[in-house]
Order: sequence, then C-alpha cells, then structure tokens
Amino acid sequence: MTETRTTPPSDSITDVAPEAPSIAKRLASRPQLVLVAVLVVLIVVTGIIEPNYLSVAGLRNSLVWAIPIGILAAGQTLLMLTGGIDLSIAMIATASAYVTANQSPKGTAFAIAVGLLVGLLAGSLNGLGVGVFRVNPLIMTLAMAAILLGLFTGWATTIFAGSTRMNDFMRTVGGGNFFGGRVPWAAVVWLGVALLVLYLLRRTGFGRNLYALGDNPIASRLSGIRAWQVLVAAYALSGVLGSIAGLLIGGRIGSVDLQLVGFLLLPSVAAAVIGGTSIFGGIGTYSGTILGALILGVLQSLLTFLGAGQGVQQVLYGSIVIGLSWMYTRLASAQ
Amino acid sequence: MTATTPTAERRLGSPEVKRWIQRHGWTVGIWLLLVVLVIWYTTLIPKFGGFQTSTIITGGTSWIFLGVAQAVVVIAGGLDLGVGGMLVLTSVAAAQFMDGQSLGVILILAVLITIAAAVVNGLVGWIITVSKVPDIVVTLGSLFIYQGLALMVLPKVGGGTSGSFRWMFTGSENGIGSNPWPAIVVITIPVVIIAWWMGRTRSGLSLYAVGSDKTAAFLSGVRDAKTKIVAFAVAGAFSALAGFSSVSISGVGNPTTDGGTLTLNSVAAIVLGGVALTGGVGSVLAVVPAAMILFFFNPILSALGVDPNRAQVIQGILIVLVMMVAGVLEWRRSRRS
Repeated sequence: MTETRTTPPSDSITDVAPEAPSIAKRLASRPQLVLVAVLVVLIVVTGIIEPNYLSVAGLRNSLVWAIPIGILAAGQTLLMLTGGIDLSIAMIATASAYVTANQSPKGTAFAIAVGLLVGLLAGSLNGLGVGVFRVNPLIMTLAMAAILLGLFTGWATTIFAGSTRMNDFMRTVGGGNFFGGRVPWAAVVWLGVALLVLYLLRRTGFGRNLYALGDNPIASRLSGIRAWQVLVAAYALSGVLGSIAGLLIGGRIGSVDLQLVGFLLLPSVAAAVIGGTSIFGGIGTYSGTILGALILGVLQSLLTFLGAGQGVQQVLYGSIVIGLSWMYTRLASAQ
Repeated sequence: MTATTPTAERRLGSPEVKRWIQRHGWTVGIWLLLVVLVIWYTTLIPKFGGFQTSTIITGGTSWIFLGVAQAVVVIAGGLDLGVGGMLVLTSVAAAQFMDGQSLGVILILAVLITIAAAVVNGLVGWIITVSKVPDIVVTLGSLFIYQGLALMVLPKVGGGTSGSFRWMFTGSENGIGSNPWPAIVVITIPVVIIAWWMGRTRSGLSLYAVGSDKTAAFLSGVRDAKTKIVAFAVAGAFSALAGFSSVSISGVGNPTTDGGTLTLNSVAAIVLGGVALTGGVGSVLAVVPAAMILFFFNPILSALGVDPNRAQVIQGILIVLVMMVAGVLEWRRSRRS
C-alpha cells in the first residue's frame, strides 16, 4: 500500500530510463511481455512432449479450458482490484447452471435468465456483506459458498428435483464449434466478456473507482466515492460472470451436478495472480488475467499429457500463487 | 471486544475489578453463553446423559483445536487460511499410515505427523516473513497445496486407525460412545499448555507484542520474524490434533473434505471468542467455548426438529451473522479511536 505501488490503470507503461536499467526493472515495467514469453515456451514444451498438440484440435483443447477460467478470473480481477476476492464464484456458477438446467423445460430464454439471476442475487448479497456490513471478503464469500452448497443440497431433492439436463442452446454455446469445427462458440462469449471488462476498467468511472478503492480506501472516501455502492456493483458483476461461466461449463458437459465448477475456483484465483493482479488491491489489468487464463489452459493440456492427477494439479496451482506473488512483490520493490 | 467504554468502566467499583472485567469479561461471558445453551439443549431432548455429552464434546474437539490454531496466528497479527487444509492433510496421512498398526507405532506416527505439520506450517510462516507477501495470499496457496497433497497421500476415502487411538479422542473404539472424559482430557492438556505459554512465557507474550504493534515490538527487542514462524508452527501442530480427532470420529480419511469451510469455521470461532482480526487481542481460553458454541448450533437445530441439510445452512448463516456483527463492532471501534 505504499505510494510506489500506484500503477495507472492502463497497460501502456512507457518507462524509458536514460541510463540502462537493470533486467529486473525492465521486466517489471513490461510484465505482460514476460507472460507472453511464458505462454509461448509452455506451448512449445507441450508440443515437444506431445507433437499432436501443435494442431488446431490440440490448441483448441487448451482454449476450451482457458475460457471458463478466464471468465471466472474476470470476476476475481474486478474484486481483487478493490482488495477483495470471490471464493464463492465457483459455487455461484454451479448453482446457476443447476437452476438453468432444471428450468430448461420451461423455455430456454427463461431458464438462462433465471440462471443469471442466481449469480446477480448471490453476488449482490456478497457485496452487501462486504460493502455495508464490512465482513472480510474472504470470509463472506467462503460462507456464501457454504450456504449455497447447503441450500442446493436440500433443494436438489425438493424444489429443483427433476431434470439436470442442460438445454440444447447452452449445449451448443458451451460445447459447440463453428468455422468448420475450429473455433468454439464459447470463445465468442469470452471475447464479449473480455471487451466489456476491459472497457469498464479502462474507460469508465466505475473502473477507476475500483482501482481507487483498492489503492487507498480512505482517500477514495474523502474524494466522495460511495464505497458500498461500488462494492455491491462489483460483487454483483462478479456473480453474473460466475453464472456465465457456469452456464458454459454446464453446456459443455451437458448435464449438471453440485460439483460442476468447484474444480475451477483455484485456477480462477491463480489466473488473476499470474496476470499480475495484486490481491491487496489497486494493481492489475484484465489483459494480464487473460494471459494468465491462457497459460493455465496450456498447463492443463501439459499436465494431462504427463498424466498428473488432481492432487498434483492443486499443489501446482498453490505453488504458482505463492511463487508468482513472491516474484511480483520483489519486482515491485525493485521498481 | 474486551474493551468496555470509558463511562461503563467508571461506574464499576474498584480499579482491580474494573481491570479484571476488562481483561476477562468476554471469556466469562462466552463460557456463560455456552452453559446457557447446554441447559436449553437439555430441555429440548428427552434424555441428556453421557451419550449426548460425549457426542457434543467429541464433535467439537476438532473445532476447538482448529480455533486455537487460528487464534495463535491471528493474535500474532497474521491469518492462516491453510489450517483447514492442514486438518484434511493430517487426517488422511493418519488414516493412510496408521491403518492396521499397533498402538505403539500409531502413537509414534501421531507425534511424527504433528511435528511434520508444525515444521511445514512454520515454513509457510517463514515464506511470509521473507517474501513480504501478505499472509492471505501465501496461506491461500498453502491451503491449495495441502488439499492437493491430501489427494496425493490418499486418492479416495479410505484408510483407518486403531480402536485404541480412536478411544483417546472419542471415548469409544468405534467413534460413538457415552464416555466424554478421554475427549475432555485430550482437549484440556494442549489448551492449558498453550494458554500458559501465551500468558506466562516470554516467547508466548511476544505473540501479543508483535500482533499489537510490530514496530514497537521490534524496537523493544522482540524478533517479529521468529515470532511469526513460531505462531504458524504451533498452528500447524494444533491443526494436526484436529485432524487426528476428525479421523478418530469417522474412522477413515477423506481427502475431498473442503478445507476452506473448515478454515471459515476456525475464523468464526476466534471472532466469537473475542480475538480481534487486527491482532494482539484475545485469549485461547475464550476460543474454546466459542468453537463449542458454533459446533453446538447443529445438534440444537436438529433437536428443534430442523432437517440436517437445512441445519447446515442455518449454521452457515449464523456464522456469517457473527462475522457481520463483529465487522460492524470493529469498524465502530476503529472510528472511535
């Protein structure tokens, strides 16, 4: 939270020092170049291990992994900028997909609307808890996840008993491809989400408020930002982003259960951290997070080819979060 | 939470009484609340005997140990999201390696697992002090890592431990009995030791010093890095005790248990127990009844005839409410000062 950590919300950092700066300084001023390099190296390494990977089908598999991670991580990025986090986002996604699948017989549009409403509602409640009642975001969202799981465990056999099959529209959007089976439809959804989030963060007052709140809550209060309104909006948006990701995954798998999205919680946090977003607020970009999600998508392919189990993956994600935060902290102090 | 307003203090008699109430008021209050809840519970169910007492105390054991683990770290000015993951990891490690062994081997294993948990979590504390990365980030990472390691140690539900080891934590060789005393002893000994350490020894008191003002503590000769590492190591050891209790109750290890929820319970327990999340304030002796109360919601709700699934939801909501009230109180306190 020192003044040296205030980074402008844009990516265009023009740091041309007169004398030759150290390598650490150069890398610190161009973190996204490093991420692109890491991405390319990972793709090449995966291609060496499994030559079939370097094909449209192989790369598309990584992209299909990266899409839901990228959308969930958009929620994490928005909230991490304010100094928060959403540990309920995977459970919100699961709950949305469950409701949509269950309500599918009543009409596709209705089912999708109800599904998105779940995310909006749960996210707004998170926002109220954090923004108005000042509950620690980690605790509020962790509790929200526990409450949703409990509610849906009960509801699965009562008010949401019956169909768990996702409707055909979401099956196409979540799992289908176009352009001769080369490009997943879900990529179009991610593109839309990405443009919206990038626009919000770079061009709107809401985006600037997110950075301001995370960077210095007291200064932003004194300059007239109503923190609770910004926070409720941010958490609600994160909930809706969770719903979108949940619907895509439900569509890809075809049917839903209560463990649908849980496995993507850790990758969603990891993608934002890899992208250089600070969990303590004020620093980060969504373009970094997109690269983080793509890196994790390729990493997933690599781990699958190596036959690594779920345990190894979790250990790896944890190590990535610790290792990269350590690196970013060092780079920030070097700057 | 123990701080009373100046006007209230002035009305209460002598300075010694005043100070005692200020210091121990919250602890006494939370114990009284537990007693009231137990008395209420006895009127809700037809028979209240050894079996009911034993079920509550046995079930609350892991909540208490995890609460104490979290309290030690938070009092030292940190936060350990990994304790729930450590509980899962140590319980599956116990189930994997203790299965079919004699009691002697099992006890040696228990000591080794506890030491390993302390060393590994101490390492997490070391990473925090060296890297200057915030506690929340590093321990979020360690939570992931512990859960992953748990899956690597024991890929699916299984393993086990011996009847006599289960007796130590539950008072019965199959996990359900009517003898609460072993569980009481197993809770009391470590908690009393840790309370004595934190209240009476130099290294224990330095936790409070570092937690309340790091700079002042450093200037008066307390090494804050060492203190933090020690706090995390103690938290690791207590998480291991919680893991043993959980494997003793269920009889098997379950690597898919959600450690995040367990961590949440531990944080709620310390908040209810009057430990300030900002560090430096609180007592493990108040965390014990607070953890019991949070666990106790569940049997009370089922005694009231609430469906178990719904009881879990209500328990979750109550925990959030506790946190909300604490959040508002802490905010008001920080505005006043």
